Amino acid sequence: MIRSAFNVTLPILFGFLPLGIAFGLLFQELGYPWYFSTLMGIFVYAGAAQFMAIGLIGAGVGLLEIAISTFFLNSRHLFYGLAFLKSFGRWSFRKFYLIFGLTDETYALMTTIKVPENFNRERYYLFITLFSQIYWVLGCTIGAIIGDALSFDTEGMEFAATALFVVLLIEQWIKVRKSLPFFIAFCSSCIALVLFSQHMLLVAIILSIAAIMILRLTKVVSDG
Amino acid sequence: MVDINYLLLVILFMTAATYTTRLTPFVLFANHKETPMLTFIAKSTPPMVMTILLIYMLRGVNYLSFEIVYTFIAILVTVGFHLYRRNALLSIIAGTVVYMIAVQL
Repeated sequence: MIRSAFNVTLPILFGFLPLGIAFGLLFQELGYPWYFSTLMGIFVYAGAAQFMAIGLIGAGVGLLEIAISTFFLNSRHLFYGLAFLKSFGRWSFRKFYLIFGLTDETYALMTTIKVPENFNRERYYLFITLFSQIYWVLGCTIGAIIGDALSFDTEGMEFAATALFVVLLIEQWIKVRKSLPFFIAFCSSCIALVLFSQHMLLVAIILSIAAIMILRLTKVVSDG
Repeated sequence: MVDINYLLLVILFMTAATYTTRLTPFVLFANHKETPMLTFIAKSTPPMVMTILLIYMLRGVNYLSFEIVYTFIAILVTVGFHLYRRNALLSIIAGTVVYMIAVQL
């Protein structure tokens, strides 16, 4: 099971490691010891918010303001849990950790893959979440310690995250076999990009869910 | 400017803010009866979120430069490999290598 979880999270490794290194590199310029970059990877564990924080920390912005900015930047996660209300199992330390580790990438992966039948679902999810966070923390740490000395040019490696979403989108298509959700999301994204480019993710998700709910309530879409 | 206490508090506040966003649906629907609508939304969000995330990743691509060409080619390579072999890792590595070569040239 551990091996299988490692294999399915390899795409996340290629996405998280270079991104984490990039974070560590930028973080180190703030002048704090390297292990604070590690700490942020362990506790905050939110890519976009960590990058945003570098600017805010550098400017000495107030704590409440940082908390509010973080909340809004991550507010799309308010909707991610809906897909796992049952599959994360009963309340336990494990469930709290699975929720803690619910990033864009783990959400995308876990909603798409099929858990092998002989595997305990929650345990499988736990390894996926744990491995993903290890990659991120490793990246943040490496970047902050030896990022400058890295001779391997990782420029462009961040495309792995885009490629991961491309692959998972195809897999979702194979799984769902309905064009409507994709079409709704595409339209919502375009509207959100034009009108609210700053909060594109959140606006697009809210628009999509609202649209599909309305279509369901007006019986345009059936169950499924 | 280096202030360890400030940074530790920043980390604490950011951790709380991020965790709140992730935990909220679980708390909100903890004792919620499974309604057909909730099940429907839970099933419909993944394909929608995946579409939105992909568009989000591509939003910064400069469509007036060569970037759009090699981004498009890298996506085509990813899709092509995936339809051909359906091996996620292989598709991602292929697309990313093409992209990295294009960027670093």
